[in-house]
Amino acid sequence: MITISNLSKSFAGFDAVRSVSLEVPEGAFLVLVGPSGCGKSTMLRMLAGLEKPTAGTIAFGGKTVSDGDRGWMIEPARRDAGLVFQSYALWPHMTVAGNVEWPLEVARMPPAERKARVAEVLRLLGIEQLAGRYPNEISGGQQQRVAIARMIAPKPRILLFDEPLSNLDAKLRVEMRTELLRIHRATGATSIYVTHDQVEAMTMATHVAVLRNGGVEQFGTPEELLATPRTAFVATFVGTPPANLIPVGPADGGVAFAGQPLAADFALAGPAQAMYRPESLAVAAEPGPRSLALDFAEATPVAGRIMVTGIKGALRLTAVVDRAPKFAPGDTVHFVIPAKPDALFTPEGEIMA
Amino acid sequence: MAGTPSLASSSRFASSPGLALKIGVLAVIGLLIAGPLLRILFETLMPDAIAAWSDVVASPLSRNLLWVPLRNTLILGFGVAAGCVLIGGFLAWLVVMTDVPFRRTIGLLATLPFMIPSFATALAWGSLFRNGRVGGQTGFLEGLGLSIPDWLSWGMVPTLIVLIAHYYSLAFTVIAAALATVNSDIVEAAQMSGARRGRIFLGIILPVSMPAIVSAASLTFAGAVSNFAAPALLGLPVRMQTMATRLFGMIEIGQTARGYVIAILLIAVSAFFLWFGNKVISGRRSFATITGKGGRTKRFELGGARYPLFAAAALICLVTTVVPIVILIASSLAPSSSALFSDWTLHYWTGASTPSIAQGQAGVFYNPFIVSATTTTVALGLTVAVAGSILGLMVAFTLATHRTGMLSAAINQISFLPLLVPGIAFGAAYIALFGAPIGPFPALYGSFTLLVIAGTAYLVPFSVQTGRAVIQQVSGDLDESARLTGAGFLRRMGAITVPLASRGLAAGALIIFVKIMRDLSLVVLLFTPTTPVLSVLAYRYASEGFTQFANAITVVILVVSIAATLLANRLQAKSQPWLKN
Repeated sequence: MITISNLSKSFAGFDAVRSVSLEVPEGAFLVLVGPSGCGKSTMLRMLAGLEKPTAGTIAFGGKTVSDGDRGWMIEPARRDAGLVFQSYALWPHMTVAGNVEWPLEVARMPPAERKARVAEVLRLLGIEQLAGRYPNEISGGQQQRVAIARMIAPKPRILLFDEPLSNLDAKLRVEMRTELLRIHRATGATSIYVTHDQVEAMTMATHVAVLRNGGVEQFGTPEELLATPRTAFVATFVGTPPANLIPVGPADGGVAFAGQPLAADFALAGPAQAMYRPESLAVAAEPGPRSLALDFAEATPVAGRIMVTGIKGALRLTAVVDRAPKFAPGDTVHFVIPAKPDALFTPEGEIMA
Repeated sequence: MAGTPSLASSSRFASSPGLALKIGVLAVIGLLIAGPLLRILFETLMPDAIAAWSDVVASPLSRNLLWVPLRNTLILGFGVAAGCVLIGGFLAWLVVMTDVPFRRTIGLLATLPFMIPSFATALAWGSLFRNGRVGGQTGFLEGLGLSIPDWLSWGMVPTLIVLIAHYYSLAFTVIAAALATVNSDIVEAAQMSGARRGRIFLGIILPVSMPAIVSAASLTFAGAVSNFAAPALLGLPVRMQTMATRLFGMIEIGQTARGYVIAILLIAVSAFFLWFGNKVISGRRSFATITGKGGRTKRFELGGARYPLFAAAALICLVTTVVPIVILIASSLAPSSSALFSDWTLHYWTGASTPSIAQGQAGVFYNPFIVSATTTTVALGLTVAVAGSILGLMVAFTLATHRTGMLSAAINQISFLPLLVPGIAFGAAYIALFGAPIGPFPALYGSFTLLVIAGTAYLVPFSVQTGRAVIQQVSGDLDESARLTGAGFLRRMGAITVPLASRGLAAGALIIFVKIMRDLSLVVLLFTPTTPVLSVLAYRYASEGFTQFANAITVVILVVSIAATLLANRLQAKSQPWLKN
């Protein structure tokens, strides 16, 4: 179990992490996701023990390992945690086997046991034939596997990943995602994974914390984030494609959607943002009673359905539909807006009851 | 082949100017570089000179001619390499990897000693530590009433210290550049595994920076064995000979054949260790680290050792940069070097000739000999800078446009040959080649032309490097994208090539200028009273006991070369990645 309470970190007046609290059970796969600069990597480095928190505490299995309030932390190696760096941080002067073996040597594991463990993890990662090679002689995906092998060799109870897939090409990234989940299951360890890619977050996590400007925007399971986003930011950050937001406001005889009055089954006292999931919208070539006209931007076939995007000024809507008329650039697309939105947010992005 | 005559002829047509260019460049650098070196070898193989080999290597004389100087040379080489790697490596680690205060300043100061010619440091040492052993004025410390032992005043120890103080900045530059590429992630990865500081240093940082350390060691070794000024000023008065000073002495007294043999052996020693260092490095794998996010370099926290280590670094930097300069300036103003900071007078700078002081020598600014030497030196520097830049650009252009082939390989190899040759041996080779008339051409010895040719040839490796950088900056995509807009050759030259290249070329030319200004070992043998140059003049004055004049001239050289170097750095906007952040 990992418990993070009121964790904060400031660098020379800049608050990278602001009072974050969350808790995940043993064996969870926690993903910290958010745009760059949101503080996710700083969080991970505090968990690893490479940075000391400015305030708040981190506890692993009930045992406090970092205490920012008292300016104290347990050093990285005594936390029973392993870290995969974004750059992999392989030691360039050691072979693949050497890279995996060195931490065990530092931990004073007897030689025979050490060799066996190295062979075991290299086999687990499918890189036993690379044992004698040097890091600059193997591909990026193979380096990634070596970094993972090195991390899991001492059998840490907590696995930390700092954007490990961001340097890989798209196809390899999908393969490694599966591979990482397999490792996670095989070791039974608790994993904490940092990424800016919400697809990785939604496919891998048991728990997701969406971070923004150093704070937790929402914490929950992937399903919860999709079903009940608590803020407009989360609604537009997660999901493939993410949900649409339409600025709405009170108007005569209904609600103005992006300035255009339409009938609606909800009433508004002031401006707000209406959320519609892509699958809630429909598209048509001709205007209807409940449609908004946008300029056609693109249409992409997705798993037997079609994803249609239109743009008008700052408004960008995406609908996923079973079939759509054939649009060409320059055409107008009419998005059919249901009377009831999937959610309503204040202009500041907070959910409205 | 027979079916495509037009294609074949057109490709032959296209390649022939390239061939002419290659042959032309090869002829020029062959004559300038390979010619003198081959000549010096043949000279010693002549029937009347071949006995010099046995004289030097195996005869009752060889102990004094070769073995003792060789032993001293090797002691200097290894001692200086070890000292430079330790000091340069320590400063590089401090500046690049730790949170020591004023890192940028230390990094800048640590690169300065290399700008100060080694004879300047040696003269400063003398002004401080001279004792009465060889007569003449005593140094400042004796003047304070301290008794300086001979070993600290003359010979091996001061030579070692002066050379380390000069060359450690070379080691610093090489090692700092290598450490700057070490990703801080790999250090943190080692921390995660629980390794302690010492273990991380020995297990990770040291092996990763080993190639740089080896190359720093072999470069400083080669520098130390080739150095003439420091052993000549601090060792010769007590008859400590190195190969460089022995070679100089042999040629001075007219035993040229023996001198040439020693020159060849000196080249062999220097080249062997450079080659050996290179071999050690190339046998290992390249440790270029795989970079990721970057930018997030976490510095090693020194904690309580922060200020003591800073003090140590600052002391090293000050003692090797500011202190020698201050001593030189003070000593050029003080009538007696035993009282450096009293009775200051401008006599040695602006005084007229009075028989009571320094045997009637007029001050530097009024001494006709020194004024003419200044003119000659600046003219030499400028001529070599221009000639060297043009030659370097030509060689670089030839190598860039014709990467493969025997001729290109030969040009490449020959143009880097001078790096392996100590300056004084190169000077000896030039005497061997141009000391006597060649066919219709008169002997060049004693002429300004010889100095220009020798200087240009000796600096070919640097000028080719500059030329390469300039061509890299300009060629390829930039020129091609301008071509696609339809701009003609002249238009492209004016709008793209010249503006981009001019700064790099000017910076390169300035560096060549500085190297010539402060060079002693190359010109010391080529010097004649008709072609006086400042550095040799300073050396002569120093060995005749006119220390104030020597120091005043050295201050002039220092001011000019530091100003030119700073200007060159500005022009290059020289990137020093280890100083960033």
